[in-house]
Amino acid sequence: MSLLTKYLKGWRFRSTTPSLETGDEINVFVAETNGTDEGLAYIGDTELRIEGAGPDTVEKRVRVRVTAFDETDATARGEFLEVVGESSYTG
Amino acid sequence: MSDASDDSPEGDPTDSFAQGTGSDEPRITFYGGRGMSALPIAFFIVWAIAQTALWRISDTSGLVVGILIGLILGMFFVRGDWKTYANTIFEGMTQPVAVTAIVAWIWAGMFAEVLQDGGFVDGLVWLADVGGIGAALFPALTFVLAALFTTGIGTGYGAAIAFVTLFFPAGILLGANPILLFGAILSGAIFGDNLAPVSDTTIVSAVTQDSDIGGVVASRFKYVIIAAVVAFVGYLVAGQFMGGLEIAGDAQEIFVAESEPIGLVHLVSMGVVIGAAVAGRHIVEAISWGIVVAIAFSLALGLMNVGDIVSFNAPEDAPVAEPLEFLPVLTIVEDADAVGVGGSLIEGAAGFFELAILVLLIIAAAQIMIRGGAFQAILDWSIENLATNVRNAELTMVGSSALINAVITINTAAEVAIGPYISKIGERFNLNGYRRANILDAQTAALGYIFPWSGGVLAGYTAMQDLPGEYDWFEPGMLVTPIDVVPFVFQGWLLVAVFVVAAITGFGREYLIDRESEEVARL
Repeated sequence: MSLLTKYLKGWRFRSTTPSLETGDEINVFVAETNGTDEGLAYIGDTELRIEGAGPDTVEKRVRVRVTAFDETDATARGEFLEVVGESSYTG
Repeated sequence: MSDASDDSPEGDPTDSFAQGTGSDEPRITFYGGRGMSALPIAFFIVWAIAQTALWRISDTSGLVVGILIGLILGMFFVRGDWKTYANTIFEGMTQPVAVTAIVAWIWAGMFAEVLQDGGFVDGLVWLADVGGIGAALFPALTFVLAALFTTGIGTGYGAAIAFVTLFFPAGILLGANPILLFGAILSGAIFGDNLAPVSDTTIVSAVTQDSDIGGVVASRFKYVIIAAVVAFVGYLVAGQFMGGLEIAGDAQEIFVAESEPIGLVHLVSMGVVIGAAVAGRHIVEAISWGIVVAIAFSLALGLMNVGDIVSFNAPEDAPVAEPLEFLPVLTIVEDADAVGVGGSLIEGAAGFFELAILVLLIIAAAQIMIRGGAFQAILDWSIENLATNVRNAELTMVGSSALINAVITINTAAEVAIGPYISKIGERFNLNGYRRANILDAQTAALGYIFPWSGGVLAGYTAMQDLPGEYDWFEPGMLVTPIDVVPFVFQGWLLVAVFVVAAITGFGREYLIDRESEEVARL
């Protein structure tokens, strides 16, 4: 990314409920889990339920393939692929 | 906090928030609960407001006594062994951020004093006079120059000291309003503290949010420049309506008429500091080079002599004073009161010795508040009740970082303390590192230069107190009381306002899925 592009990036109003594309692979922080095999990530106020993201993925950055997105209620589903990073503060 | 999080304790970010302050449980317990650990700071703030605002007593040593009494009072409310409380005072005082600020103050103080004694103010007045920059324009111009200077050297405290020492008297002589001038200087310091890649708060914001410094600076430019344009217009407009002071006699006309351009050579000295800082040199190294160049110019051009820089005034009965009296730095004085070490370097540094003690004690009191749990209590409450969706989460990030910076004197210390919380709230909603760092640092830079107990205000105000001794025409009544400047730090208030609007409207918001910040790397 050029220096100028970096300075011009983000001059826009971003939605509280961003859209996701089915089939895309994205990185997100997992906020919560149901305690077994499903995680929940908030991308703004869009809720992404992640199959296969168990308790050990909470507050970690994970790679997810989006499998479904419903724009009307800003919910999505996805498959957990791998852990790609930690929180800034892992304690 | 959403419903979904309530039934999922593992996902509750508050569980791990204590990591950021380095302890899971408050180490000190107080009679009256966690809130009582804020007593030393709260007592000090009340004392500072009473002393400086209500009674208009501008005395740093008085503030030192205020925080000392606050720390002693707090001790009486500690449950169990008071030793832990005492040790926490030491723990706070030995934090690197406090010492870093003090070092910046002392170096900047020496640099500014050498420039002042080397005729820089004279040169500025000459330039403003020749350039036709009147009283009304001077605050706006001061804002721009202070912003550029701070962006170069990275220390807003240092810039506040240098500009109060150099631009403030020049502006007053030209008829600019002193309160507006001080506000413009602080605004410029905020601009640079927020945007400079070499600023300590910029670095802390990037590092605590796991982002590269270059990307952080580029992404925050949009917020900073919007606030700065409005602030600039604000100083232009206010400059038209807020008049200056009457200088007794014809001192003003004489000073302006006698001002000479030669002192402007110190623009090069300032340029050396900025250049060295931008080139990645440590701030101590950069300012040291500035001091060396300023002294060299001053001596070579006859603006100062060696004795002006450092002078030893020895008593007549000193054993080897008389044989060495030929040394340019040594003078034998008859008056016992005149014995001492003087000159620009000592005067520039010594002005901040009391302030250094004050800041160490305030940082100690802040540490008591962190270890005692009052800080945690405030944040727990805000997270539980406020960060319920992404918009509220961003507003909470703005509010909590603003609150802690309004309370803790040294803004870098406040930023280090709040960094983990900002990270946790932001990551929960997948806000990217740049957005988190920008929200954090804007409040840190802004609130560090607004209130009477803020480090930037204290630094500038301390420098100002030397001016009556420096100039015959400068009367103590011309000093700006810190409380008076609060509404006029336009860049600070506007920066906070920009982020409140940005949180509500989504301006500049970026999610992790939009862009991931690059690896953390200092310049």
